[in-house]
Amino acid sequence: MMRINPRRSAKISAAGLKRIVLTAPANVETPHPHKPLLTKKNSKAHVLVIAHSERGTLNDHARQTIAAAAILADAETKVLALILGELTEDLTSAGADEIIVLPELDFERFQPKLELASISAVIESVQPMHIFMPDNAIGDGDLGRRLIASQRTKTAATQVVEFDANHVANFQAGGTLLAQSALPEIILLAPNCVDAHLPFATSAERSDSTVTNQTSANQTETSNYQDLGLQTIAATEIALEEADFIVSAGNGVQNVATFESLAHALEASIGASRVAVDDGKFARDKQIGASGKTVSASAYLAIGISGAVQHLQGIKDCRHVIAINTDASAPMVKRADLTVIGDAEEIMQTLIALIAVAKLTKLKVAA
Amino acid sequence: MIIKRIAVLISAGRHPTSGQPRHCRNDSLALTMAVDLANSHSTELDVIHAGNPENPALANYLALGADEIKVITAEPIIENLAANLKDVDLILTGSRAENGQDSGLLPYLLAVKLNIPIVANALEIKQMDDKLEVLQFFPKGKRRRVAVKLPAIIAIHPLAFVELHYAYAREQQGKIVVLDSRSTVNNTVAENNLQWQIQPKMRKPNKLKAPENLTGHGRLLSAITSENKGGTVVNEGNSVEKAQVILSYLREHQLINF
Ligand SMILES: Cc1cc2nc3c(=O)[nH]c(=O)nc-3n(C[C@H](O)[C@H](O)[C@H](O)COP(=O)(O)OP(=O)(O)OC[C@H]3O[C@@H](n4cnc5c(N)ncnc54)[C@H](O)[C@@H]3O)c2cc1C
Ligand SMILES: Nc1ncnc2c1ncn2[C@@H]1O[C@H](COP(=O)(O)O)[C@@H](O)[C@H]1O
Repeated sequence: MMRINPRRSAKISAAGLKRIVLTAPANVETPHPHKPLLTKKNSKAHVLVIAHSERGTLNDHARQTIAAAAILADAETKVLALILGELTEDLTSAGADEIIVLPELDFERFQPKLELASISAVIESVQPMHIFMPDNAIGDGDLGRRLIASQRTKTAATQVVEFDANHVANFQAGGTLLAQSALPEIILLAPNCVDAHLPFATSAERSDSTVTNQTSANQTETSNYQDLGLQTIAATEIALEEADFIVSAGNGVQNVATFESLAHALEASIGASRVAVDDGKFARDKQIGASGKTVSASAYLAIGISGAVQHLQGIKDCRHVIAINTDASAPMVKRADLTVIGDAEEIMQTLIALIAVAKLTKLKVAA
Repeated sequence: MIIKRIAVLISAGRHPTSGQPRHCRNDSLALTMAVDLANSHSTELDVIHAGNPENPALANYLALGADEIKVITAEPIIENLAANLKDVDLILTGSRAENGQDSGLLPYLLAVKLNIPIVANALEIKQMDDKLEVLQFFPKGKRRRVAVKLPAIIAIHPLAFVELHYAYAREQQGKIVVLDSRSTVNNTVAENNLQWQIQPKMRKPNKLKAPENLTGHGRLLSAITSENKGGTVVNEGNSVEKAQVILSYLREHQLINF
């Protein structure tokens, strides 16, 4: 039995009462500055995660997929992440023990045969117990299905919305049924079915690619498919839900003209808070939030928006939120990755000027 | 090359709440594109369904522009579809069915079986000589153009620019014929097979979370301190410096390219 220390640390409150304060028990080692490292030295088996990167980083969906593999892997199983496209970020918090990067297979290029040949070569060499891929529209959903179709002896499930060490589940029959089965070998995961936050870090060592160039695959590629290039629709024409960069105005924006020229300079789509829409400054279809649109832009620049919960609901999937606000205690500041305190009009004007200069110097350098 | 035969594969859909049989919108997009293409090139068009010829959902497709629907009753589906699609130049499909496992796998399995290329997420298609030019959907306003050699399978994206036209008169004129099935295709290959069990009750899926091995102290701490992540706050400096901070952030995360 454990004896409670009668002299636990306490302080005397203003009212003269003794209050026990929460301190770490002395016999427990001080909490680690880093999370414990979970990398397996003598791994007996592998789980493989395959995902495309975007601009050198992995999106949330890809990170969730790695986390899924890391949670399932036991102490003797190594999580190997095979990243297609450049990788410039660190993946120690994502859960990968080892990383192979194939920068030439980025999602921007259409080379399904080369991709399939390359991942098949890795699969052949490590013989993973399970293969996880995000079921997304930037190439992994397509590549995953090509893989499943080419390896019909492997069991597979797509659009998996729930799983653990023993089962997977997904919606079937037009979303009217939830069906469950044993954990298959190839698993294409739907977004947001895993919490990507891990209580441990991993070594995420890069190993040199063991995949030799698949020139034969490359040749048949050009005979069947020809990539005519990726294009981006002008920010003004695409639906807000699809936009990648949004500048959004709230009640703190007085001058709509300045705001619009900033959006133009950044080649961004325009959004607004409910108050700004109610004021007649923007059309109803620009409203973002609980009673407006839900957006998932990579960059969300919130100008003069306080950040009411109803508004934050609409931007929960945005990756980088930047706020401009006069009030450092606005709730938006807590949500934002970067907040600049100051007057919206002044900072917008300065930004427009700086962007013009930056674009000009880039032109000169290019010339 | 002139496209001589086009086929479009349609599955039976169902209403998500009432469960009533109806067309699957994804497949209707493919059907409408196929009908337009067949009309403008005056080519033969086969509208093919694998399943039950009596399914009331099929009538919807007649109304949406199919003159005749050929139904394959023999199983397994992939092998029997493939047997009927050998000399077709272009096969259009939807992206996901509403009636079985809805895995979106069928077009890929068929492509392997027929050994022809497949392009998915197609928004628009256009014929160029012996190739087909496809506009592919990508999220965040991105689109890709791909040329693919025929014969090929094209799976149409739900956001394809197609307007559906429903005409009751066509439903009355259209026919449903059962194909004399060449059945008895041996199916010796394994088929990514999993035993699915339907859950008796619809429920919200459980999210997977890493178990945290905290000490009692740690658990208590995490319960009373909310994770207040809040990013950098810049209070100092004039407006030029502040604007510069924003630009540097955008550059650092490659959100702008100037
Ligand atoms: C049922 C319901 C549904 C709702 N749905 C939505 C919704 O879908 N979308 C939505 O947005 N809201 C919605 N709301 C409203 C929401 O609660 C807020 O009222 C609204 O979001 C506030 O808009 P705002 O931040 O632009 O304005 P305010 O709350 O007035 O905030 C203005 C901000 O600008 C700052 N500011 C002021 N002047 C300047 C300046 N010169 N420079 C820089 N910053 C400045 C202020 O510090 C403040 O933070 C809903 C409310 C309800 C009850
Ligand atoms: N029984 C079927 N008969 C004909 N085509 C089908 C059938 N099932 C699926 N398809 C086609 O294949 C696509 C993908 O279906 P699935 O792989 O079942 O999600 C659908 O959009 C249809 O075009």
